[in-house]
Amino acid sequence: MDKKLNLKLMLWRQNGAKDKGKFETYKVKDIDVSMSFLEMLDVLNETLTREGQEPVAFDHDCREGICGACGAVVNGKAHGKLKGTTLCQLHMRHFENNETIVIEPWRAKGFPVIKDLVVDRSSFDRIIAAGGYISAKTGSAPDANAIPVAKESVEQSMDAAACIGCGACVAACPNAAAMLFVGAKISHLVLLPQGKVESKTRTGNMVHQMDKEGFGNCSNEYECEAACPKSISVSNIALMNREFMFSKNPPKP
Amino acid sequence: MLKTIHHFQTSIGRKQVVATTGLMLILFIIGHLIGNLLIFGGPELYNGYAAFLVKLRPGLFVIEGALGVVFLIHIFFTYMLIHDNVRARPKNYKIVATKSERSFATQIMPFTGTIIFAFLFYHLWDFTFTPHHGAQSILRDGKDYGLYGLVYNAFSDPLHSTFYIIAMMCLGFHLSHGVESFFQTYGVTNTKHTATIRMISQTFGVLVGWSFSMIPVYILVKNLSGN
Repeated sequence: MDKKLNLKLMLWRQNGAKDKGKFETYKVKDIDVSMSFLEMLDVLNETLTREGQEPVAFDHDCREGICGACGAVVNGKAHGKLKGTTLCQLHMRHFENNETIVIEPWRAKGFPVIKDLVVDRSSFDRIIAAGGYISAKTGSAPDANAIPVAKESVEQSMDAAACIGCGACVAACPNAAAMLFVGAKISHLVLLPQGKVESKTRTGNMVHQMDKEGFGNCSNEYECEAACPKSISVSNIALMNREFMFSKNPPKP
Repeated sequence: MLKTIHHFQTSIGRKQVVATTGLMLILFIIGHLIGNLLIFGGPELYNGYAAFLVKLRPGLFVIEGALGVVFLIHIFFTYMLIHDNVRARPKNYKIVATKSERSFATQIMPFTGTIIFAFLFYHLWDFTFTPHHGAQSILRDGKDYGLYGLVYNAFSDPLHSTFYIIAMMCLGFHLSHGVESFFQTYGVTNTKHTATIRMISQTFGVLVGWSFSMIPVYILVKNLSGN
């Protein structure tokens, strides 16, 4: 027999970027423990819609923990209390009956709130556009294994490439720094021969863009790694720091 | 030149300044600690060391001045970083919780730093810029023991000693995160070495904190037992 939960939700409601926003309290009843957190919010939204109220806006897409669209701070923890999962993979069995759950959006200057729990993460796109790519010659595919790559580099690069850009690192960081995200994006390129070509300009450009977006500075507290749904290591930040020492800085605008 | 200035206007550039100045201060602390521990060798050795330092002046003043500048740069750049960090999160969370093993030392870095800064002035007024001979240097046998006597008398006061021990604990906490941060900021850390570096950092912090504190503790105990 499945257990059912009755919960009290303290939810951040904010009608648009200019609205001041405030917490609203809602009650949800008969929540199945095998529901995901987002499904629980769906239940709330259906109730709100039936009652003629505005449903809660939240980002979501794949709902299987691989797209990076969802995310909220649940009881002070980005993506909730479980490690290595996104919010959609947090199931209600991890909550107690009659528990009060506080749900807030990512809070950072670089992530302005659009509505309720939805934040604007286009700052991440601009950081990528500043250098997180390889200018590849397109055309016929090269022969497999034409470029030898060390196994260890492949592993590290792929671990960094697991980043889904959800923004939990920024949300969890006490300083709202984006260094784990940028570090991962730099690592996954620079560790491979194809990415090394542009590494001198890439790191400088991306770090400058990161600073311009208003993210904070890493103080080596490693909250980001703990909150990352892909458990991306802070050693990527170290690698970025090392790369930055030898990078060409772009001219000041 | 312009490129260098731009470098230190970036987040990572500023962090590297804090790390570099931090390393210089750590080297000074190691030297200072070794000097201090000579007190266990008795008044002759300790006062001899103090006299040797005085003989190095005025050259030593240049080094001390430079160290002061390094200290101020360390504080100023940290201030700039904190200033940006506060602005990076205009609205705080209602509930702040941790998902990692974020250490106590890490969370109190700005506070331990501030205490060390305030302590420095008190310490200089207390032991450096004060007469090293006279009433406060005379021990129970009625002889003037110079700096040794001054330190001995100061630490015979439990309140005075407690204050120093608290300050040194702050220094220990500060270093236990600082050393690790230095390696991370200079990109030495990787998945293989993170645990080792963290262990070194914490051991160093504890060692420095305890070693400095050993002096007031030793004098207090010695004094209480009536020797």
